[in-house]
Amino acid sequence: MKAARKSLAFAFIFYTVFLILSFVFFYGLGTEPYLFGMPLWAAVGVILFPILSVILVIPLVEHFIPDVPLTDDKEEEKE
Amino acid sequence: MNWAVVSFLAYTGVLAAIGIWSFRIVERVPISKYEKEFYAAGRGLGGLIVAFIIAGGLASAGTFIGGPGMCYAYGYSWALQGNFVIYMNLMLLAPVGIVVGVVARRVNAVTYLDMFKARYESKVVIVILAGLVTLFLLPYMGTQFVGAARVISQMTGTSYIVSLALGSLVVLIYCVLGGMRGTSLAILLQGIIITIGCILLFFGTVNHVGGFKKSTEILAGLDINLLSPTMGGAFPPAFTFSIACMIGYFIVGIPHGMLGALTFKNSRAMKRGIWMGAIFLFIWTYALGFSGLLGRAINPNLTVPDEVGPWLAVNVMPGIFGGIILAGIVAGIQTTVAAMAIIVTSSIAKNVLKELKPSISIREIKIASRWTMGLCLAIAMALALFEPPLIQWIVYFSVGGMEAATFGPILLGMFWKRGNKWGTLAAIFIGMILYSLANTALPQLKIFGMHAYFVPLIAAVFFYVVVSLATPRPSDAVVQIFWGKAQ
Repeated sequence: MKAARKSLAFAFIFYTVFLILSFVFFYGLGTEPYLFGMPLWAAVGVILFPILSVILVIPLVEHFIPDVPLTDDKEEEKE
Repeated sequence: MNWAVVSFLAYTGVLAAIGIWSFRIVERVPISKYEKEFYAAGRGLGGLIVAFIIAGGLASAGTFIGGPGMCYAYGYSWALQGNFVIYMNLMLLAPVGIVVGVVARRVNAVTYLDMFKARYESKVVIVILAGLVTLFLLPYMGTQFVGAARVISQMTGTSYIVSLALGSLVVLIYCVLGGMRGTSLAILLQGIIITIGCILLFFGTVNHVGGFKKSTEILAGLDINLLSPTMGGAFPPAFTFSIACMIGYFIVGIPHGMLGALTFKNSRAMKRGIWMGAIFLFIWTYALGFSGLLGRAINPNLTVPDEVGPWLAVNVMPGIFGGIILAGIVAGIQTTVAAMAIIVTSSIAKNVLKELKPSISIREIKIASRWTMGLCLAIAMALALFEPPLIQWIVYFSVGGMEAATFGPILLGMFWKRGNKWGTLAAIFIGMILYSLANTALPQLKIFGMHAYFVPLIAAVFFYVVVSLATPRPSDAVVQIFWGKAQ
């Protein structure tokens, strides 16, 4: 249960930070100057930031979500 | 030769073969293990398939047809919604994956409602939820078939009815014959096809329009609001926030998303399902969304925005690639229908039947499962004969309704010992009544321009807590199953 709570907390914290930064980029950067040929807010908030976050989520998931046995049967877990 | 037709038929043929092959696998399984095999694929799926099951199940025609269509219609303001789709697997598996994984093994739960049965020990909750799942998911499945039929019809020139048959009958074959085993095998092929199709469409479209800079100039000339994050105020930040919550925090309330949580073999597979899902959803969402957006710069005169994906595949891509993109878009829809078919069938043929006739044998459930699955898909196909307009709004309507009723009982039920069946019933009723009112007589419930589900969901969670606290605690057996250590 402790592992499940840790996993839940990680997901909610990660998504909340992601949400806040997304909103900052969407509504705080403005349209000009253009970047990669698209509005600045879109280039940063819709392209660069999501790519960075997806790269980041891999080690974070591996680190913060613990590996736990899902069965009470030790033999089955080994299989 | 019409390469789109040839490559699509080849893809369909492989899916049918997968259905027959998985039928043989399921039939070889001893009858005592049939339910686990048919509904949870033996609970032995690895990370890649789990990633595809959840991502493919949750990303529906809304993503594959509606997404590009909305970006075509509303420009960059809709492209930003893709940010929140990326983490659907994370927000489903990380919060409840471990609890579902452990409890499902303790009580041998193989269906979505088995988990409710274990947690709330109530026949009434099971029957009501089965009704709710059927009520929301059957029409949803119907709209998916509509999307598939439109795409096939537009790209191959076949009639709507023939296209509907082409896109849906093969799903019936592999779902009815192979259950979750057939679906999981099919989804591996479909996930790969979807990914290749999306990438081809994106690069083909960018190349055709001459790059983002040129497309942005054209879009600005058409309507400067297409470059705005709010479409000139049409989508205020509060609306975007409510959508971000719907496909983020509240996604555990979606029944067909739970399939992945019931089928992974260990926590390592679950973790891979999370981050692989993020990668695939990123590719699918942005490749398609930006294709739709750039498609507006290529052809601003489409009368039905949802047709932009197939239009690009036909008019921008070489024939053989067009066929792959067609297969990719249809595959994305089929994965959703298959996941929903499993959930609806298991709710009716396993859970409700068992509640109504406790002495039912596994052999009888086996027969009932296949008949119910066939019947559900047939009803969805029949519903598809009534063609609805913009798909994305119907998708959000169904998802919002399910979440308003079940988010509290699922998430709080997993982590709060005090939650009980009375709280669940209160949440379902309050969520449904307020959601109906928000969509009809009381649009004021859509506060600050939010989606109609938001206030009903919050109210349902509140009533879940209050009513649970005012009524008896769950039994010790429930507490032991969900929070106790191994015996």
